[in-house]
Amino acid sequence: MTKFLKTKIRIGVFLLFLISIYSNTKAQKSNDISVSFYPVFNNSIINFNQSAFYKTEINDSIQFNLLRFYISGIQLLNDHKVVWEEESSFHLIDANENLLSFLIHPSINISYTQIKFNLGIDSITNVSGAMGGELDPTKGMYWTWQNGYINFKLEGKCNQCPTRNNEFEFHIGGYQFPYNSIQTISLMVEPLKNIDIDIDLKKLFESIDLLNTNNIVSPSKEAILFSNKIASVFSNREK
Amino acid sequence: MTKLFLLLIGICFTISGFAIFIGNIFYVPENWPQPVYDFSKNPLTYEKVELGRALFYDPLLSKGNSISCNSCHSQFTAFAHVDHALSHGIDNLIGTRNAPALMNLAWQKSFMWDGAINHLDMQPLAPIANEKEMASNIDSVVKKLQRTKLYPTLFLKAFGDSIITGEHTLKAISQFMLTLISNNSKYDSVMRKQATFTQQEKKGYKLFKINCSGCHLEPLFTNQQFENNGLYVDATLNDIGRMKITLAPNDSLKFKVPSLRNIEFSYPYMHDGRFKKLSDVLNHYTSGIYQSKTLSKKLETPILLSSNDKVDIISFLLTLTDRNFLFKTDYSFPKELLLKQ
Repeated sequence: MTKFLKTKIRIGVFLLFLISIYSNTKAQKSNDISVSFYPVFNNSIINFNQSAFYKTEINDSIQFNLLRFYISGIQLLNDHKVVWEEESSFHLIDANENLLSFLIHPSINISYTQIKFNLGIDSITNVSGAMGGELDPTKGMYWTWQNGYINFKLEGKCNQCPTRNNEFEFHIGGYQFPYNSIQTISLMVEPLKNIDIDIDLKKLFESIDLLNTNNIVSPSKEAILFSNKIASVFSNREK
Repeated sequence: MTKLFLLLIGICFTISGFAIFIGNIFYVPENWPQPVYDFSKNPLTYEKVELGRALFYDPLLSKGNSISCNSCHSQFTAFAHVDHALSHGIDNLIGTRNAPALMNLAWQKSFMWDGAINHLDMQPLAPIANEKEMASNIDSVVKKLQRTKLYPTLFLKAFGDSIITGEHTLKAISQFMLTLISNNSKYDSVMRKQATFTQQEKKGYKLFKINCSGCHLEPLFTNQQFENNGLYVDATLNDIGRMKITLAPNDSLKFKVPSLRNIEFSYPYMHDGRFKKLSDVLNHYTSGIYQSKTLSKKLETPILLSSNDKVDIISFLLTLTDRNFLFKTDYSFPKELLLKQ
């Protein structure tokens, strides 16, 4: 073995060493921040599997059986500028399966004051064909008679509903103009702290007349109005 | 050594660049536009196409394993549903429209008569879930596939994973459907200067170009737009067409312009299969147009054709029959896979 070759190997080993250190530090340079959702009614957390009753504003009983929705396109902002974006950012939240939180991994050395995310799936993803993971159509969040993801599902019962078994059913979606129902939500947050978000369904149902609005299952004006209302009941959870 | 390595990399890149054109699974015929389908997200391989073909012919996709995609899309009719105005699905339940022919789908921008479906991958979800068609759902199809002896192995070969997902199932079915290219009719041979039209076909082609090609644009024989072609509304169906999807009154009574390739075998015609013969269709365009607000601009001036003209046009339309497509064994029931089970 020539001297020259030996030096070459040494340099090579050293370079590999440097790379391994670099990739290790790179892996460590992010935080695990949890983002959690709390569906609440009158400040108590809703149980979706035990058909508990809650009292509405007019003292009627209301019951919730299903809540499932997509969160996508998560960004952290500082002074209205995006400082971090999650890659392939799609999360399915399913209250019945108790899947109400996920982790994000922003870089360690950024400061931010705000989180921004979409409630629902963007239009480009909606026209991109079959996808896997959280976006797999087997998740039951995809319409079949007409294409498109269902952004938000909420089902339950209330005596006010003049429907079969007094059920209400909201399957909110639609990605095509003018019935694009995706909503953007932004909330103030503190760096390095876990993010806890309330979804106040009491507030939501105060803004809905269940007598007339109890079944929305396709892209429409009503779906957009409803999605606006849902977005407005997301807020920071009081600590 | 380094040179050899670079050469190998070069070869790999070249092969991957042309992967979709390997063998005869997929090709873009001369003078055709580029396909709409994004192959980069679902590169074709023999294993995936074969898996898709098995799924296409397997009744497992329906409730009670009773009907398959092939039940309403048979090869010998260009994958249409022959003989039935409105296609029937599970338990002989009758749907509201005529199942369209399946061919040249890589070039198709939207699917269904009303364009309800925006992507080929997502198309199978509709018939799988429709209660009058296969009355199942993709989730239970995936679970059923996973329990078979055959499919985990086929998915492993195709996708490198024996865990079956909705994504892989749909992508495999797309792969098979993408291979259904029809470009070997007499018309195509004439265009390639390998054959000649008879005098009558030539006359028919000339009349076709004057009267029909505004919507039935060559070489796909559709402009892929939604048009109201002046059919009176069938009160038993009250089908508003495209408006059901867009909710826009402008789209009332509009349906997608279908391709005319293999039209000889894809009868009956129109979204509700109301015409059994090509002569009925031509008579509709000359003397049956129902006036309404959204009638296609192209039909505002009446189409004038003598009965001889009509016969000539039909003789041209018959040159769009592609026997190679209708009988190609690559597209037929995969005995070697499905009969072994």
